Amino acid sequence: MASSKVLSNIPCLLFLGAILIATVIGCGRQTSQNPQTPTSTASKDAASESVDGDWLIRNMPAEPKTLNPVTARDLYEVVVNRNVYEALLRRNNETLELEAELAESYIISDDHLTYTFKLKQGVKFHDGAPMTARDVAFTFERIKDPKVDAAHLRNYFRDIDRVEVIDDYTVRFVCTQPYWKALEVVGTFAIMPQHIFERGDFNSHPNDRHPVGTGPYKFVKWDTGRKIVLERNENYWGKRCHLDRVVFKIVTEDTVALQLFKRGELDLLGLSPEQWVRQAGSPEFEQRARKLTYYLPSFNYIGWNMRRPYFQDKRVRRALTELVDRETILQKLLYGLGKIVTGDWYINGPIYDHAIQPWPYNVAEAERLLNESGWVDHDGDGIRDKDGVPFSFEFLIVPGSTFSDQLATILQEDLKKVGIRMTIRPLEWATFEQQVQDRKFDAVAMGWSLDVEGDPFQLWHSSQAEKGSNYVGFVNAEADEIIEKGRREFDAEKRRTMYRRLHTILHEEQPYTFMFCPQALVVVDRRFENVKVYPLGLDPKEWYVPKAKQKYGRESNVP
Amino acid sequence: MKRRTERYWTITWRQFQKRKIAVIGLVLVAVLMLVAILAPLLANDRPIIMRYQDRYYFPAAIDYAQFRNVEFDKVVAKFEKSDFAMFPPVRYTPTQYNLTDRLQGPGRKHLLGTDDRGRDILTRMIYGTRVSLSVGFVAVGIYIAIGTVFGAIAGYYSGKIDIVLSRILEIVLCFPTFFLIIAVIAFLPPSIYNIMVVIGITGWTGVARLVRGEFLRLKSQDFVTAARALGANEFRIIFWHTLRNALGPVFVSATFGVAGAILTESALSFLGFGVPPPTPSWGDILAQSRQYVEFAWWLAVFPGAAIFITITAYNLVGEGLRDAIDPRLRQ
Amino acid sequence: MVCAQSETEVRAGEQCAVKVYITRRLLLVIPTLLGISAVTFVIIQLAPGNPAAMALRLGPEGVRSDAIAQEIVEQTKRLYGLDKPIHVQYALWLKRLVTLNFGTSYKDHRNVLEKIVERLPISLQLEIISIFLVYLIAIPIGVYSSTHQNSFWDNGITVFLFILYSLPSFWVATLLIMFLGGGDFWNVFPIYGLISDNYAHLTLWGKIGDRLWHLVLPITCLTYSGLASISRFGRVGMLEAIRQDYIRTARAKGLTEKVVIFKHAFRNSLIPIVTLLAALLPAMLGGSVIVESIFSIPGMGKLAFECILARDYPVIMGITTISALLTLIGILLADLCYALVDPRISLE
Repeated sequence: MASSKVLSNIPCLLFLGAILIATVIGCGRQTSQNPQTPTSTASKDAASESVDGDWLIRNMPAEPKTLNPVTARDLYEVVVNRNVYEALLRRNNETLELEAELAESYIISDDHLTYTFKLKQGVKFHDGAPMTARDVAFTFERIKDPKVDAAHLRNYFRDIDRVEVIDDYTVRFVCTQPYWKALEVVGTFAIMPQHIFERGDFNSHPNDRHPVGTGPYKFVKWDTGRKIVLERNENYWGKRCHLDRVVFKIVTEDTVALQLFKRGELDLLGLSPEQWVRQAGSPEFEQRARKLTYYLPSFNYIGWNMRRPYFQDKRVRRALTELVDRETILQKLLYGLGKIVTGDWYINGPIYDHAIQPWPYNVAEAERLLNESGWVDHDGDGIRDKDGVPFSFEFLIVPGSTFSDQLATILQEDLKKVGIRMTIRPLEWATFEQQVQDRKFDAVAMGWSLDVEGDPFQLWHSSQAEKGSNYVGFVNAEADEIIEKGRREFDAEKRRTMYRRLHTILHEEQPYTFMFCPQALVVVDRRFENVKVYPLGLDPKEWYVPKAKQKYGRESNVP
Repeated sequence: MKRRTERYWTITWRQFQKRKIAVIGLVLVAVLMLVAILAPLLANDRPIIMRYQDRYYFPAAIDYAQFRNVEFDKVVAKFEKSDFAMFPPVRYTPTQYNLTDRLQGPGRKHLLGTDDRGRDILTRMIYGTRVSLSVGFVAVGIYIAIGTVFGAIAGYYSGKIDIVLSRILEIVLCFPTFFLIIAVIAFLPPSIYNIMVVIGITGWTGVARLVRGEFLRLKSQDFVTAARALGANEFRIIFWHTLRNALGPVFVSATFGVAGAILTESALSFLGFGVPPPTPSWGDILAQSRQYVEFAWWLAVFPGAAIFITITAYNLVGEGLRDAIDPRLRQ
Repeated sequence: MVCAQSETEVRAGEQCAVKVYITRRLLLVIPTLLGISAVTFVIIQLAPGNPAAMALRLGPEGVRSDAIAQEIVEQTKRLYGLDKPIHVQYALWLKRLVTLNFGTSYKDHRNVLEKIVERLPISLQLEIISIFLVYLIAIPIGVYSSTHQNSFWDNGITVFLFILYSLPSFWVATLLIMFLGGGDFWNVFPIYGLISDNYAHLTLWGKIGDRLWHLVLPITCLTYSGLASISRFGRVGMLEAIRQDYIRTARAKGLTEKVVIFKHAFRNSLIPIVTLLAALLPAMLGGSVIVESIFSIPGMGKLAFECILARDYPVIMGITTISALLTLIGILLADLCYALVDPRISLE
């Protein structure tokens, strides 16, 4: 499907997962004082000597609209710009903790309202101009500027009031309220060059299509509709990357993409479960390609609108969860390539409580719960009812997402057998969003993509029930308390324990029937070495190709 | 007057019958219609007729309270000597799924294979006939009706009337139909018929232009002058004499219109605007086939074959009708 | 009533009539375009989902979105100019149109005209070649079918073409890619885009060859389904034409069958075909979405589809207006051809 908007379905998430390779920017863990050395030092883990050269040709399922990190709204821009732009901090590939990138060090005030960063010196943008605190401040002010088309990003910065430039290499952010995620918010936005973007209309700037950052790769060209090409930054301040070029080929059809991979015209690609099992299993394929998997920070679910009479009782919601045979669906439809989840936290993250077991598939128990909560077929028409209201609801899905479609028809058939009537309503993405936003739905199949460590405020706080992302209308006093206290809790362990209690509450209340965290299924050409799988994915900046196997020269004719 | 009309249609029918192949087409269409109407008796997990405990039941057609959600195999197990049950030839319902049997090719258990949820394809094709046939009739019926009248008037009268009508036609032609479909889906309850009405209302322009072209050609011909000389009124000239000769392209257009409607339904299903699930339709099976095209050939071949049979049948009937109506072909 | 006139006078009179006709038609294009753009403008605002709200939902973290403060939606609306009443918006759009300024896209803030001009030649290229091929192959088949009505070949070809027609293009395209596009089976044709990666390094002949090689599969997909319908229309047109009295006269005059068919009947059979030509352009624009998506060809069909889903109003208006203009010109040409093809049709 050509549309890049449908992010709430598994195949798309899998592609995105493959694309979401390395939320970590980093060619290594250098300290700031070392000037960049043009000769690469072998990475400690490489068995043989690393070698410069060759290109990586990656698939991109949709074209980004722009490469301006502030006005961009899709994940594809992020994938490209992770190589070009950098931020004050980044996440470590293995520990997932925030560590320094463009910042040399930082200080947080005791009241958690002031964040002062000392920047690395000698960092240059790709055009040679030096990076200073003014660039940081400029980018921050663009984000906060209401005339800039960045409302989505501005939301995160609501508590962060202003920025102060102390000197060329010191910058300070001041917040209006203490918030434990503030460090992440100010630390992970891409720093853009003021001298380029201050002239012209920021919303439609020519450099939106020609990004200029400080990262290990610099932009070469963008063939609209075809590809985006990046080239190694020879003056990079940090650890040099081995691959000369990274090419993002825009291929919207997964069938075509796999054929291109088999022909050798693509080196890195994300597959659907169907392709993974049926078309990437032959011995010839395994000879050419490495098959890698990891878990994406995302999950899908069925949301029950708790304002509706049928979904108000938590016994009913639990019954519905027990009527979905998640294990079988996972095994048969997704070939077991995923995991059932019980809460909206990243499965490899620090909060997720693995001790909580998902409710099992149990039709008898479900029927008992339904009967107990008063939903019984009083009038003999085959449909359960209560107080004159029949248990008949509408299930909203986005078409083009096979998984939702499959789930819906399976659910419909199973619910029919226990006397619940469900109709399926497919709506195109824009309309679907509108309905969900207006809370005009009974039940909905969607997905969320997650932060490494998330703040449950958006989804579960009662204030978000009418006007935020708490579409299902979950209102729970204890949950509210945990969420509010958690925002101000800076002791990580304490906070995580509090959130785990919330995880238990969600498990008992079942505002969602949590479904799966899908696995990203990635194939990589075998000629690449040092390909490691981290919790969040892959990091091609570490890869290299031995001289003998290199395919593309510096100025090569791509066959 | 009445006698003359009767004789006209009898003549037409006789002419029609003379072309054997057209009759075959008609038979095919009739078979398809029967399949559509009798679908629950052809494919169902309930018996058509059953004698149980000295009473007769018709579970396939009537929804009995005591047999709701009952597996009939269990009922059959409890049969006495005098009890019997006659099941339909295909023992599946279109929504019955079985994840273990998904994506199986044609075989003993499922004659035409299963889809990605383990639903029987033959059953879905049988029930799908309802959607596919009616989709064709509704959409094409509407746009042939509108288009023929519009084109006839525009082509016959020419001059100012043609100028205005042609401009209206152009506006409708350049209209973003897809947008209207989205709006309709959003506001009206999910039903493929709403979409088909939209297609009908926006798709008549092709037929209108064809008919207009034919009328431009025909109106200066002798038989029109002759009819005028005989004192026939305008209405009769347009809709009786001239139109009969202009129908050739209209029939072809109708034939391809029906096939096109079915294929459009498939494309819309693919995009998610087709029949709401779980309603079966050929287009829906075809849309699914794309994901598994590398190995699940049965998901495309069978609906494709069904479409092929349908358009051939309609085409033969259409050509037969045209030949029967055209006075010059009378033998 | 035809008075005695010299040939040159008649010819001059005809040319004058044609010029008047063309001028009048071209002038009529303006109100028609106004009508189309007005209707489109209203309809696209009807469909639910507004671009301002949609812009917010897709944050950089993906689907997870934050509390949408009403004021932020309003902010974006103001940015896009959506807060004004609809007739004011339309008037503003018209005013900009006079300077050929179609505005900027909501999605990526690029100039709309630039985006369209980038893709229009590509789509046109595909469609024109495809239409040309369809007619080249289908018309002779149609003529043959009509003269050998119900023969073995006629029926055989008909059946074959109907089978082709019944196959949806996405299925055929995927099959072609699998079997002829390398990977698993034969690697005969390229499957990605319109030019190779090393295009810049090729010689002139190399470039032409490269383009043609890339066009084979997409053009096949666009062409095969049109063959059935056009050939049937051609057949029907010929059958009508053959049965006309003047054909009997021609035969009675002793002209050879070949002359009868090709010189006399054929011209008159072309009416339905000419009609279709005009309608083919917008039809192909819509139908090429699938082919463009599958073969990664950055054409207008794909752009139009994506913009509708994203409610990118300026681009939708731009595409509708430009393709409407092209369609109207196509219809004008078709109407002119009517007169060319059948001398009994006069231009009024």
